Amino acid sequence: MRAGNPARSAARWIALAAVVALLAALPWCGNAVLVQFGISALLLATLAQGWNIIGGYAGYPSFGNSVFYGLGAYGVAIAMAQYQLPFWVGMLLALGLGVAFAGLLGLAVLRLRGHYFAICTLGLALVMTAIVSNLPLAGGNIGLVLPLLGNAALFYELALGLLVLATLTVFWLARSRFGLGLIAIRENEEGAAVMGVNTTLYKVLAFMLSAAFTALAGGIYAYYITYIDPAGVFDLALNVKMIIMAVFGGPGSVLGPVLGAFILSVISEILATKVTSVASMFFGIVIVVAVVFMPRGISHLVAHVRQAGWRYFVDNVRAHRL
Amino acid sequence: MDAILEARGLTKRFHGLVAVNGVSFQLRRGEILGLIGPNGAGKTTLVNMVSGTLAPTAGDLLFEGRSVRGVPAYRRAHLGIGRTFQVMKPFPGMSVLENVAVGALFGANGGERNLERARAWARACLESVGLGKRIAQRADALGGPDRKRLELARALAMKPRLLLLDEVMAGLNHVEIEEVIEDIRRVRAQGISILVIEHVMKAIKSLSDRVFVLHHGEKIVEGGTAEVLSDPRVVEAYLGRQRR
Ligand SMILES: Nc1ncnc2c1ncn2[C@@H]1O[C@H](COP(=O)(O)OP(=O)(O)O)[C@@H](O)[C@H]1O
Ligand SMILES: [Mg+2]
Repeated sequence: MRAGNPARSAARWIALAAVVALLAALPWCGNAVLVQFGISALLLATLAQGWNIIGGYAGYPSFGNSVFYGLGAYGVAIAMAQYQLPFWVGMLLALGLGVAFAGLLGLAVLRLRGHYFAICTLGLALVMTAIVSNLPLAGGNIGLVLPLLGNAALFYELALGLLVLATLTVFWLARSRFGLGLIAIRENEEGAAVMGVNTTLYKVLAFMLSAAFTALAGGIYAYYITYIDPAGVFDLALNVKMIIMAVFGGPGSVLGPVLGAFILSVISEILATKVTSVASMFFGIVIVVAVVFMPRGISHLVAHVRQAGWRYFVDNVRAHRL
Repeated sequence: MDAILEARGLTKRFHGLVAVNGVSFQLRRGEILGLIGPNGAGKTTLVNMVSGTLAPTAGDLLFEGRSVRGVPAYRRAHLGIGRTFQVMKPFPGMSVLENVAVGALFGANGGERNLERARAWARACLESVGLGKRIAQRADALGGPDRKRLELARALAMKPRLLLLDEVMAGLNHVEIEEVIEDIRRVRAQGISILVIEHVMKAIKSLSDRVFVLHHGEKIVEGGTAEVLSDPRVVEAYLGRQRR
């Protein structure tokens, strides 16, 4: 809904396109470790961006997104390992499973708000892990082995492509009638309904859109890693990670979740190689400090710290203390 | 004159408490109907049932001759029912313009699909209530009186055929009340039918064509404004207590 200066916005688009081009060229540097790290960071950024749609825009803190991820991974794994179908068919299955499940789950739980919604999706995530662990088609709790492709650069470009698609979608969302309806739901659901927003439909659609990107990321991951089991892909810790990254970067913004995912991926990578044992503790501290001093994320910080200076942090501590 | 809104025995029970008890009334097309009654009389509950945020325990509600029982709030907005909230419900993190644009984008008949046109209409609505200079501000940065104006602009942006105003003048000073009375007159001149809930008697007197009174959830009096306001039961239930 912002008009913006056309020259500045053009400059911004060019800068973003340059960043994407640079990222796309990264596999040609020939550093295998870097490419591996890149795949993981890009997939995490896609997950954070997917969570951003339901959590950041519609304001529903989903713990069900790790289920969409798991379903996506299993969609590809079942298609390729059990039926010897090509990867793209597996991706279609991943998309179908994730989106269909989000639709059903959404109709059931999106009438709950706040903590109730979070807890309910959390419970469902646990139930899904148990169900998949007992499905022979999904390989039970042993898991499934996929054919080995061994082309890391390809997975890297796929992950980058998906992230760009997810981010362009959120960019459109932030400027569309649909997106404004979602923000209205987040800001005051009863007010939105009385003003004509079909809140149930919008929430379910947002959940399905969120699931689409999450499931496709799971599908890419499955083929890339070539072996999946229920505990590995229906991982609640992954859901927590998406939330932390999106919230750290700025939920309800277009680029925030991506920035958050990149920054936290780098920090956690450095900590993991340098100071193994205390790495997770440091990670935790980074998050606590971030939440206290910049609760609205990096994107908000970047936009406001220049005028407010150090007062930005002081005001945040004041405004959000208990 | 036909009724745009008709309530038949509308009742709302909250557990043991009967907040609205068998209320029937008609709101004629193009009229301003006043609704008064002491705090806790059930006025807001009645508005909630008309706008669809609360389901009645019993009774029926007809909008433009058709029952809207079971019709969800958003569909009633599309049919042309707009309202303001006594306890205001703005979208705090959005700009004032975006707040109103939501009404333009989703209101009567599903709203305007074109963002540019919706924004232009939202700006016009904001200007009509004197908020034209505040469009870029965040809604939660507005002061009390401006929030009331925003509440009105949001409802107007929906292009409603029926407007329910739940104490839009509470907390305003004399000058501001006069302004809002003028705003409401202009709204009516566009052919919008209005239900006004107000404790400000000056507003009820100068705006309403007719008035009805709720007391303990029941309609106790209905009729022409002057005659209702001088009715002994009303003075007893409501005005008398306030004067003391
Ligand atoms: N959601 C609710 N749950 C329980 N009681 C309610 C609820 N809403 C209103 N009430 C009660 O119903 C009665 C009427 O309230 P209300 O309609 O707000 O009155 P008014 O708007 O005339 O001041 C009050 O006694 C109030 O406490
Ligand atoms: Mg009230």
